[in-house]
Amino acid sequence: MSQIESPDDNIAKDKQEKLLIDVGSTYFKLSNKTNIEQHFRDFNKSILDDLTHKCGQEIERFDKKDIHICSSANGGLSTLIIGVTHSFSLKYATNIAFNSGINIIDTILFQNIEEYSVPSDLIDVVIIVGGINSSSDNFSESLYRYLNNLTYSNVVFVGSELDVPTIKANIENVVVLPNIIDDRLHIVEDSLKAYLTNLYQQDIEGKEDIKDLYNITDNQIFSTPYVVNKTLPFIHTKYPVVNPFVLLDIGGATTDIHYSKDLVDENIVTNNEYDRLVFKKLGVYKSKQSLIFAAKNNEFVYELLMHLKVTENIFEEQSNKATKVLMQLAIFLVLCKISHYKKAYVNLKLLSVNSFVLTGGITKVLTVEEIENIVSFFYKKILNSEHNPVTVLDNNYDIWTLGAEGKERCQ
Amino acid sequence: MKVVTGVVGNDIHVVANRLIDLSLQARGYEVFNLGVNTYLEEFFDAVIETGADILLISSLNGEAEGWGREVPRLKAKYKKLDDIIMMIGGNLVVGTGNAEDIIPRYKGYGFDIVCHQVDLNTGLDSLEEMLKERNLK
Repeated sequence: MSQIESPDDNIAKDKQEKLLIDVGSTYFKLSNKTNIEQHFRDFNKSILDDLTHKCGQEIERFDKKDIHICSSANGGLSTLIIGVTHSFSLKYATNIAFNSGINIIDTILFQNIEEYSVPSDLIDVVIIVGGINSSSDNFSESLYRYLNNLTYSNVVFVGSELDVPTIKANIENVVVLPNIIDDRLHIVEDSLKAYLTNLYQQDIEGKEDIKDLYNITDNQIFSTPYVVNKTLPFIHTKYPVVNPFVLLDIGGATTDIHYSKDLVDENIVTNNEYDRLVFKKLGVYKSKQSLIFAAKNNEFVYELLMHLKVTENIFEEQSNKATKVLMQLAIFLVLCKISHYKKAYVNLKLLSVNSFVLTGGITKVLTVEEIENIVSFFYKKILNSEHNPVTVLDNNYDIWTLGAEGKERCQ
Repeated sequence: MKVVTGVVGNDIHVVANRLIDLSLQARGYEVFNLGVNTYLEEFFDAVIETGADILLISSLNGEAEGWGREVPRLKAKYKKLDDIIMMIGGNLVVGTGNAEDIIPRYKGYGFDIVCHQVDLNTGLDSLEEMLKERNLK
């Protein structure tokens, strides 16, 4: 049976126009050649129902092969990393996990494993790491006892070769990959990154809500942070961004930070130009309460509220003004977390930053001036500096579009 | 025998660091050089990851003074560092000072061998002597 095509259909297909869809935890976005639209999600509907209800006509214009979808709404894989030191095994494995698109990471320092409580929730993947290949006996009985009490779906060992036989003998179904620490104590990313990226893809595809989306696309659904990270080397083609820069994606549930590697003094030596870091309970919609909690525990927040000419009652309000303040707070807290003021997984050299790029829902709420106001407050108050990086707003989602188009071209 | 080495704190004396690396290798050690600007925790962590027997910290600008005080507190947090040989060398004070005062102070911080303004080879000879005394070589 032949299908009657409308003139619009012909236009879309002749020019190989693509429809790009990004499903976030709070909004979804659609981008075609000329237009980008954004819709607040209806959480009473499945993603597909919501999408077809709001944008059905647009989706029908395209063939399934011309629709590309990425998602950060699946909650991510829960990951537990057990390593023997903070500076090497835990840091390297965490870095690889973040750059593989994983959002939820907890770590355990093996020597103190008996002091950690066992999470009651199912862990998607446990990563065990420690020691260069010539070191041995990095783990002992306490690891196996801990794992016996833990519920997990996958376990992978990426530590010393000499420990492999013992690990295999004691941990059922363990996947063994090459050590992520080489003999010069440098990071080796490829195998673990490929393993985690595949696991993440399988997880996205396995989630019922996301699985439904294959009804409208023939293409693989990627994770959004993975797509964004791929865009960063080309960001200057869209914006006047000067390296080194920090990209903040403050979303509804989490905040993603992508940063130039020049901003860290690290023992991590990789081929990546940009690394990624995620704050999992810092968002302005789903994670709003934990954001407010973090704000109330920050000694400078009351000064910041005064600076913004509001009181803490703003936290209880439901208004545009309250949303703005919440987003400004989120920027401030994120900057605190990545500065030397708070010891975090990484501390960036913020005095060397030339540009701050903001993407995500925040670009629809705050102006450049409102963001620069917070950034300069942070620099003066926390870093005691007049440094003033340029703020760039990705308010047309060009970064995501560029990444998604690039991804599609690579296929 | 494995040695972890590097320059502690905000100290960029890379030439001295390289010479120590080369001299250790020439004496047959397997060297893990963390380079300059290394934090104390990274030294201890590198010993754990490599299974090293010796930790040799150097300092040229005198920063070791401040970091040294932190050694007992930090080392106590580790459960597998009891058997390592800890050595420190270079210029160990800001300004001037004499070895009679400096050596006991650093030994009090937990270092087994302290070489203040001592020639590199002389310092490494004293390491060899300690290894012999402990029947490790």
